Amino acid sequence: MGKYVAQRLIAAAFAFIIIVALIFFVLFSMPGNIVSDPTIKETVRKAIEEKYHLNEPLPVQFAYFIRNYMNLDFGTSLFVRPGVAVFDVFKERIGVTIQLNLFSALFTLPVGMFFGITMALKKDSIYDIIASSLVVFFISVPGFVMAAALQYFLAYKLGWFPIVLAPEVKLNWTKFHSMILPIFALSFGSIASIARLLRAELAEALTSEYMLLAKAKGLTFRQRVVRHALRNACVPLASTFLYLFIGVLSSSLVIENIFGVPGLSKVLVSSINAKDHQLTLGITYFYVLIGLLMSIAADLSYGIVDPRIRMGGRKDE
Amino acid sequence: MRTISTEKILEVRDLTISFNTYAGKLQAVRGVSFDLHKGETLAIVGESGSGKSVTNKALMGILPRTARIEKGQAFYKGRDLLSMTEKEWEKVRGSEIAMIFQDPLSSLNPVTRVGKQIAEIFILKHKLPRKEAKRRAIELMDAVGIPDPEKRYNQYPFQFSGGMRQRIVIAIALASDPEILICDEPTTALDVTIQAQILKIIDRLQKEKQLSVIFITHDLGVVAHMADRVAVMYAGKIVEYGTAEDIFYNPQHPYTWGLLSSMPDMETEEGEELYVIQGSPPNMLYPPKGDAFAERNPYALNIDFKEEPPMFKVSDTHYAATWLLHPKAPKIERPAALQRRIEKSLKRAKGV
Repeated sequence: MGKYVAQRLIAAAFAFIIIVALIFFVLFSMPGNIVSDPTIKETVRKAIEEKYHLNEPLPVQFAYFIRNYMNLDFGTSLFVRPGVAVFDVFKERIGVTIQLNLFSALFTLPVGMFFGITMALKKDSIYDIIASSLVVFFISVPGFVMAAALQYFLAYKLGWFPIVLAPEVKLNWTKFHSMILPIFALSFGSIASIARLLRAELAEALTSEYMLLAKAKGLTFRQRVVRHALRNACVPLASTFLYLFIGVLSSSLVIENIFGVPGLSKVLVSSINAKDHQLTLGITYFYVLIGLLMSIAADLSYGIVDPRIRMGGRKDE
Repeated sequence: MRTISTEKILEVRDLTISFNTYAGKLQAVRGVSFDLHKGETLAIVGESGSGKSVTNKALMGILPRTARIEKGQAFYKGRDLLSMTEKEWEKVRGSEIAMIFQDPLSSLNPVTRVGKQIAEIFILKHKLPRKEAKRRAIELMDAVGIPDPEKRYNQYPFQFSGGMRQRIVIAIALASDPEILICDEPTTALDVTIQAQILKIIDRLQKEKQLSVIFITHDLGVVAHMADRVAVMYAGKIVEYGTAEDIFYNPQHPYTWGLLSSMPDMETEEGEELYVIQGSPPNMLYPPKGDAFAERNPYALNIDFKEEPPMFKVSDTHYAATWLLHPKAPKIERPAALQRRIEKSLKRAKGV
């Protein structure tokens, strides 16, 4: 197990370095930069170019960049929040993003499981057929379309929810109430994915031989489902959920903008538009890192949930 | 052979089961009747699709949803099992009637510790405390011949070989001290050396616990070892029914002849061709008129194609459903090769 984790971490580190380089070069190869504004005085432009090594060839800039990151210097925002360190911008904005994503995850898992389980238990009933169609619908509709639709119907037409996120800093009812729509928009797709997966897994588990044996033991239906079928059906759930969470993080980028959430993604999008490259890189790398760690966690989760993988190879016979 | 008690523990009468399929109604079991005596082993023999497994699933109340019991009764301790509700079944399953399944590789829950799968019966059904349940489970594992049961208790099924897993399945079946044990081809998935061990365990436990056993198999060799009485099934019906001696030394039904002739034994000589029953079983969506075996029966009479034969009584213990036993039927001798075999094995049985 330890060896496996080490292997995965090394592989992830390589992937991280490649992605870091790729994003850096793509970003800095884009035409124009922060000082291409013609109204800036020639002397000022020179000074800025000098300070940020903008006149050097790209590989040299990359070397400077890496050196700074090694020293935990993540640069300074020049345009979106002039003069503020990237790390401070990040610290200030991450709170609400994490809050939103965490709520969405906490909402997704139980609701998705509920639908998956009930659909499997009532397989081929009217309920299952309707729910399955909805599942396909929610999986296919992209999050931002869902967000816009929710905003239009529930917030604008019906007025049940505020259109954008409440500006309160503390988490109180007003704030939570305004967070409901973004949470919905973030969760519906993942709920549908979990429901679909669990329905398929549980339906298969219910018809398995070990369920027949459990029945022959004299266990009640509830005991059989909870103790035997669900246990098996949930084996692939852990990893799927972690992968879904990566998806939620990325769709949160768009959805934060729709609902005016002052989170990381808002800064990210404005930094890209303003060519505030240091800020863009800092936030992007954070997302890359989270994504890589999540995928390692997803792979390890198999081993935690499934004894056959946990003890793979250790056969005593 | 043991002396068979005449006390009936299970009486199955006219059991008829069909499956609703897209193609129509499949008549899997067509009026099966038999008795199970206390402490005996009844073997139900037949080829795949003859309805032997379905019959016994009905006796466990574990028929699939598509199956329907059309008619019939199964009396156990004065109760008709077939009319019981699911709630009543939960008290009978495991505790009164238990079952050993065909494939031990897939019948254990792959992600639960083996010991827990036994112990949960004591915890959930008998409301024993955890410690006591564990002790009883380890005792059972020891009884079915699992070495080092304390260590094995905490292992998962994938750490067990096929034979060891089947022992666990047997331990599970015996956990609640059932009266009747149904063995649904318990050795089919195992290799031959392990088969013998498993059969020995079943045989020993049956004697220790005075179990009444229904043994489903298509392996006549196993039947010869295990059974007190034999029921031969074909196309959803019992075609011959008698003590093991009746079936092996005095078979009456042409299908039984076919089965016995197609079984190799120690005397089978090199180059000697084994008998093959020609054709294949009828499509039970449209059971044939008359005797279902008539198409494949080289001794079929005209009437076999027109009318189903009733059960003819051969002796007090022996019945067969073939028109050949009708008083007006032409006298047909058993195939010569089979007759020779029977005489040889009779001689052997007496000589030793």
